[in-house]
Amino acid sequence: MKPPIDNSTPTPRKGIRRLWHSFRQLFAQTPLLGWLFGFLLASILENLIGYPLARVLGLSKIPVLFGVDIALKTPLLLPATLLYDLIIYIIPLFLTVRYLTPFANRLAAWLLRAPMWVSALIHMALLFLVLYLWTGINDYRVLVAKLMMVSIIITLSLNVVNGYMGEFSCSHPGFIALGAYIASIITVGFFVGGNLKFVILPAYLAPLVFPLALILGGVVAALGALLVAIPSFRTRGDYLAIISLAFMFIVKSMFENLEILGGARGFGDQPNLATLPVVFIWTMLCIWIINNFVQSTMGKALNAVRDNELAADAMTVDTRKTKMVTFLFAAFWAGIAGGLLAHVIRYVNPGTFGLQKLAEVLAMVYFGGLNSVIGSIVGAIGYNLLSEMLRPLELIKWLIIPLLLILVMIFRPTGLIAFREFDLHKILQPKIPAKMEEVENVPPSS
Amino acid sequence: MERKSKYLVISILMICAILLGACGPAAPQTIKIGVNAPITGDIPKVGEGTKFAAEMWAEDINAAGGLEIGGKKYQVELIIEDNESKAESAVAANTKMITQDEVLIIIGPQASKQAVPAGQVANDNKTPMISPWSTNPNTTLNRPWVFRACFLDDFQGPAVANFVTEEFGFTKAAVLYDIASDYPKGLAEFFKKAWEGLHGAGSVVAYESFTTKDTDFSAQLTKIRDSGAEFLFTPQYYNEVALIAQQAHQLGFTGPIVGSDSWGSAELIPLCGEDCYGAFFTTHYAAAGATGATKAFIDAYNAKHGYIPDDVAALTWDAFNLAKKAMEDCGKITGDIAADRACVKDALSKVTGFEGITGTMTFTPGSGDPSKCAVIVKISDKGEFTFYKQSCP
Amino acid sequence: MDTFLQNVVNALQWGSFYALIALGYSMVYGVLMLFNFAHGDIFMVGSYIGFFIATGLIGLSTLGIISLPGWVILILTILIAMILTSFVGMLVERIGYRPLRNAPRASAAITGLMIGIIFETANLYLLGASRRKFPEIIDTSIFQIGNVSLTNTKIFIVIISLLFMLALNQFIQHTKWGMAIRAMAYDFTVVPLMGVPVNTIAALTFGLGSALAAAAGVFYGMAYPVLDPYMGIEYGWKSFVAAILGGRGSVIGTVIAGFLMGFLDIFVATYFPSTMRNLISFSIILVILTFRPHGFFGRAYSAQLRL
Repeated sequence: MKPPIDNSTPTPRKGIRRLWHSFRQLFAQTPLLGWLFGFLLASILENLIGYPLARVLGLSKIPVLFGVDIALKTPLLLPATLLYDLIIYIIPLFLTVRYLTPFANRLAAWLLRAPMWVSALIHMALLFLVLYLWTGINDYRVLVAKLMMVSIIITLSLNVVNGYMGEFSCSHPGFIALGAYIASIITVGFFVGGNLKFVILPAYLAPLVFPLALILGGVVAALGALLVAIPSFRTRGDYLAIISLAFMFIVKSMFENLEILGGARGFGDQPNLATLPVVFIWTMLCIWIINNFVQSTMGKALNAVRDNELAADAMTVDTRKTKMVTFLFAAFWAGIAGGLLAHVIRYVNPGTFGLQKLAEVLAMVYFGGLNSVIGSIVGAIGYNLLSEMLRPLELIKWLIIPLLLILVMIFRPTGLIAFREFDLHKILQPKIPAKMEEVENVPPSS
Repeated sequence: MERKSKYLVISILMICAILLGACGPAAPQTIKIGVNAPITGDIPKVGEGTKFAAEMWAEDINAAGGLEIGGKKYQVELIIEDNESKAESAVAANTKMITQDEVLIIIGPQASKQAVPAGQVANDNKTPMISPWSTNPNTTLNRPWVFRACFLDDFQGPAVANFVTEEFGFTKAAVLYDIASDYPKGLAEFFKKAWEGLHGAGSVVAYESFTTKDTDFSAQLTKIRDSGAEFLFTPQYYNEVALIAQQAHQLGFTGPIVGSDSWGSAELIPLCGEDCYGAFFTTHYAAAGATGATKAFIDAYNAKHGYIPDDVAALTWDAFNLAKKAMEDCGKITGDIAADRACVKDALSKVTGFEGITGTMTFTPGSGDPSKCAVIVKISDKGEFTFYKQSCP
Repeated sequence: MDTFLQNVVNALQWGSFYALIALGYSMVYGVLMLFNFAHGDIFMVGSYIGFFIATGLIGLSTLGIISLPGWVILILTILIAMILTSFVGMLVERIGYRPLRNAPRASAAITGLMIGIIFETANLYLLGASRRKFPEIIDTSIFQIGNVSLTNTKIFIVIISLLFMLALNQFIQHTKWGMAIRAMAYDFTVVPLMGVPVNTIAALTFGLGSALAAAAGVFYGMAYPVLDPYMGIEYGWKSFVAAILGGRGSVIGTVIAGFLMGFLDIFVATYFPSTMRNLISFSIILVILTFRPHGFFGRAYSAQLRL
């Protein structure tokens, strides 16, 4: 496509800006459906010609995370990985966006005539298909995707407390640990045996019992949260920060002392139940439920409590109950995430749930953005991807990630995408451009 | 017009790609070995030792023209991944090396916290893995693909108990260990069991613990001092040993202090100073007065990095040589990675009488744990690790 | 009884570190209502600075270039480390906190956390993975009183720490700057309007807090002479608990809370199975906070605490 010709003598910057503008216009018209089609095409393409293409370009295998790790290890391969990304991801995406947008818009509009959940389910199914095809290339991608989704649940649940409620809670590693251990006790106790053995049930029951185990883990985490909430919410203040910190130390210390669960040796042999679809379904469920929660009356009351507790109280919000319920709700989801995490790694160790984990989850929440579901998703995915991609840098990685976070905090103090509502309808709806813009940006026909 | 030419270019590119790529993989000229090391995180020194030993080994092999397997020479390529001293990260690193880099064998992770979950991945993906340093039984338990290069706690604990009984004739022992770290904890338990087996219940008069990163042991040591224990057994890492020995002496504890293989670091004496002189510990090798291959390794390492290698470096070196032996025993590298991995694993489980720099190792089929001897080292009045005694299973 | 007395001595030394570090947290918290999560790592930096100064001075002395007795080296080490570290603290404030003055409070906590990680990694990167041994500046001598052993370093550490705390209290209570700090702790929305320079006060609190952390770092090096890049993390978080437990903006409360943490650590390990130490000591803190939710000397405050 030629850049549009300007009558006035164009400075290069102006030309680039113009190009960028038309580029954005092009993308602004694409609904989510269009993007999903694009990614679908890219993953199908990768499955079909990814390997031969990589070989041709001199790469030994398909670049696993867009080639960043390869390029960091051997910078000579940078052009090859860029070319690979261009052919497999960027060009198909661009082509789809360019030519399928009208169709995607029409389809999205047509889908929205049915109840919203139909459209949402179809989008989710497409998303899963993309994920499934993309991770089908390599087990490492599966693991990264699973860890990323677990991180989304953790980040979202912490955002409910630290963002929507505006308190500073440090007990999330403790809740994750509770969920991880409880779920593991059930699955190992009923299906594997060993040190801990209840009744060994037939293996085909495991996928049915697993959700129950996760929920029980969540419930126990919520009960733990009650221990923190009762003393903390007697008054307003920063006492939640240290009570929750104390709670985290207590949980870690408790599991270190529980010999039956392996103590410091850790607890392993969890059956492989957290498969990609299972983690995906739980993640979607979590996003849906948490989104509904923060948009409910309860969620609004929560924001009122955060902004001015006295005023909220005066407006008949039961502040204490609101805070308690929210905290328990967040802990429940952290417990679920813990159960999933334990079954993704298939080993838990009290040492995992310490200060290091705390710094990590806090970083994800504030990186993504407070008070925003989308922000949490972006934060979790961004942090995880960055962390995996920069792996070859070893020590330098731990200079780059903190620096990046500091910059984000300085320039966007509430995180990348903060205080934005997650409006399902707005996301799923077709994006038909306004007439004026269309006229302005018609590309000159060749 | 321009649009058309763009399509043309793309389609030509794609066709080329498919045609050329279909040639298939050629037999590899290099052998990839994965290293899963804690380069960042809690124990960077362990990661450094692992990395240095691995790089030294690979340089040696490649300088000699490569690994000779079945009459053919292969260059060695190391894939070093940082596990950040975290379980998730160790799992991710192993998965990446197995599925993405297609390594033939993995050396590491070192600490059990990472080796247990990483071993699961290696076993599930049918890739041989040797952990040089992990002493947790679960690392290799029921995992035919996972091996280790060190002896286990259930051998080392009783070895210490027997040595002290024979050497000093003591009957009252005190133990100080880190409850939050599985290596000291496991060893403390096995020692207690062995000691009480020798001297009857209650002969461990003080059994005290602390948590990782504690630096003040005065409460525990006061208890130990007042319990009437004749000696102190502390299976801790060298940095904690320095503090424990110093504080024990400041609190007036005078008995001997006995330790385990985690003391075996060149850093112990600079950190601990005179407080550690006269102490004993069990380990894999004694650096002072070493001979043969062990001495060659120590000298080479010292020349290159400026300090005597820790036991973790020596064990990593041995793990690499075990891998080398297994590959040579295997006879040939076919290029079919699954078959080669299986071949290496089978060869590993049959290794007998392997002369490592940390002792002679023999694997019994069905178990990934070598049987090897322990060395008891005395720290001399000059701060050297001198050979004192050998203890074999 | 001897055991008890011995442990009181142990706990006094252990508690001094918590108290000194907690004061830094407490002042920043009092003045700016911010958590300075980089503080634990500032303690680490102070300890390393002390290490380099002490090693350098001792090296110069043995070479015969200067001849200084041990106690002069010790005092010089402490003073220089305190001054240099206070600059580090002010730098942290300038880079990580000042741009975020009007941002949500938690964002500044995150920058603090990240600056801490940068300190740790940079240390590892520049100095390598080896741990450092803090040199013995003055010869340790052990006194036995009954069955209680004391060392001269222990006595020195406890006394000098108490002196520092007293000096800080005098400064806060009896100087103009101290009054400004107290005023900020009283109401940090109105006081800046009365002409108190917020930026100067903020830099001052960070500088003072870091200087105390550096003193703690040097003392720590004398008592537990093994330094590693991650030594500040656990301390930092535990002192943070002590700082808030003491009550916002109260020097005496923070000192008491710091010593309480020390006594809890030592005495729980003595009278309970020591494996349960964190479990029991934090449970006790939880109980204290349930009944005294504003800490020991804190007042209920109504200032707007957003995020």
